Amino acid sequence: MADDPQVSIKIEGVQFGYNGTEVLRGVEFEGNRGEFIGLIGPNGSGKSTLLRLINGILRPKVGTIMMEGKDLTKMKIEEIAKVCANVPTEFSEDFNMSVQELVFLGRYPFAKGLWWDNREDEGMVIEAMEKFGVYHLKDRKFSELSSGEAQRVLLAKAVVQCPRVMLVDEPSAHLDLKYKLEIMEHLRDMLSGNVTIVIASHDLNLLAKYCDKVMILSKGKIVAFGKPEDVITSQMVEQVYGVEVVIIKDGDDIYAIPRRTRRKEDGK
Amino acid sequence: MEGSIVQKSKAKLVLVLVIGLLSLFFLLVLSWSMGAVDIDISKVIDSMSYIITNFGPMSGDAEQQIVWSRMVRSVAVVGVGIGLSVSGVVMQALIRNPLVDPYITGVSSGAALGAILSILAGISIVSLAEYTTPVAALLGALMAFFITLTLAESAGGRSINFVLSGMIIGIAISSITTVLIVSSDDNRLHGALFWLYGSFAYMSWTKALIIIIPILILAVMFMLYAREFNVILLGDEHAKHLGLDVRMFKRMTILLVSVLTAISVAFSGIIGFLGLIVPHTSRMLVGGDHRLLIPTSMVLGANVLLAADLFSRLAVRPNELPIGAVISLIGAPFFVYLMIRRGKEYGG
Repeated sequence: MADDPQVSIKIEGVQFGYNGTEVLRGVEFEGNRGEFIGLIGPNGSGKSTLLRLINGILRPKVGTIMMEGKDLTKMKIEEIAKVCANVPTEFSEDFNMSVQELVFLGRYPFAKGLWWDNREDEGMVIEAMEKFGVYHLKDRKFSELSSGEAQRVLLAKAVVQCPRVMLVDEPSAHLDLKYKLEIMEHLRDMLSGNVTIVIASHDLNLLAKYCDKVMILSKGKIVAFGKPEDVITSQMVEQVYGVEVVIIKDGDDIYAIPRRTRRKEDGK
Repeated sequence: MEGSIVQKSKAKLVLVLVIGLLSLFFLLVLSWSMGAVDIDISKVIDSMSYIITNFGPMSGDAEQQIVWSRMVRSVAVVGVGIGLSVSGVVMQALIRNPLVDPYITGVSSGAALGAILSILAGISIVSLAEYTTPVAALLGALMAFFITLTLAESAGGRSINFVLSGMIIGIAISSITTVLIVSSDDNRLHGALFWLYGSFAYMSWTKALIIIIPILILAVMFMLYAREFNVILLGDEHAKHLGLDVRMFKRMTILLVSVLTAISVAFSGIIGFLGLIVPHTSRMLVGGDHRLLIPTSMVLGANVLLAADLFSRLAVRPNELPIGAVISLIGAPFFVYLMIRRGKEYGG
């Protein structure tokens, strides 16, 4: 079986559950290099579980996950860390860590020096902080940042990890409109470097605008996977979220505007 | 670019170490000169050079003998100061809570039980009499730690399990110790209490070396893993994202740090608060990076304990206060201050 070098993530027949409760079943998809994949689905649909399977924190009970042609279950976590970076939704830190110290940690998988980070590491850290507009905060304590600033610091930390696969969990939850768009644009810029980005979010419109492909998860199954305009339809959204929406097309962009929940209509 | 980030960190570390070591040297000379009998500083310096060049004091010189015995004591004090401070830093990182101390795994209670048992029972193996108590304390500490570890692992092995089982085991063991102390009516009680509140009286060179050598080795080992401690602060899952084998690393460190704490209490008794205050103050001084934090805590811990030891010898001379009580006297209000001022900020 020849592996397509363009395919960076390949998931086949993956099934996973916690303590007997099945969370994911029959999950299959391929993620290519340079592809921006949006992951949507209601709370509890298995988005986070899927991300945690791809980054190797969880191991599938059934099925295989291949990362760059290697079986993920046979990779050590330090090998995975050299390929795959994560941007968590929330993150608390109680130890007075400064912004730059936190960003430097992204270089940990590649640490060569015995103790200190080298010039190369430092250059990357500064570049990433500048790119995400947090350089001026470098000496501030991470715990004192606003959630938007914190989110951008976490993105910078993931970027210095030079990932070829990047998993982003709910990046826009705490961001204002401008930063939402900016971050999606930064992420899109990374794609030219052949990164595969998987981003989980509740913001349908944001994903529809920036992602090459959108995957919809519902009750642990992939119910749709494809181009945003093919996948985000009023029927699909209604089926998955139980919300009636109007889809509006504006050139290449599509927007889903919620109208009302189905339940209210049924009830009265 | 104005001065690189790494260069600045290095400069900060060098500055802290230079100031810390200078003040340590100053305190050492002071603690060799002052005590039940005061000795002239110039005489101390003379004795120092004689002792260093001859590997020991001049046999007929009483003052040199005193300096010599104070040197022994100060080596042990510096060792324990380093040991407890580094254990504090490491334990706080492992538990991810800046308000825990190195006794959290029940080590101190176990050591106390061992020591009290040996003191009250009056066990003494003829040739090793002076080591009975420290050995019993060490065994007690390790025993308590293994019970804590087993309990925590069977409850899931998470940080919170360690804290809780350490507390439970600690309380259980302490109650046994209390019963033992209350039900003993002989004059060994004084020795037992002295041990419980920490003391550096009755040191010997062998003891001092048994304290400081393993402590320095362990401290250097922890320093080599400074980067891993930074990573572990992110929490288990994020540390794994960065490729750190968290479970393995935590197991190793919790074992080593318990040994470090056990050695630190075995000879000198229980000295509370140091392992809490020193890491905390160091963190305020140099920040959270363990590459700066561990060395800073080492010099600060040595300084603070040496100063406290000096105070404990001078306050009611020619008698001595238990050093553990002295440290707690400073430590308790400091901790109260931390809780009120910074408790919210840390969420601990």
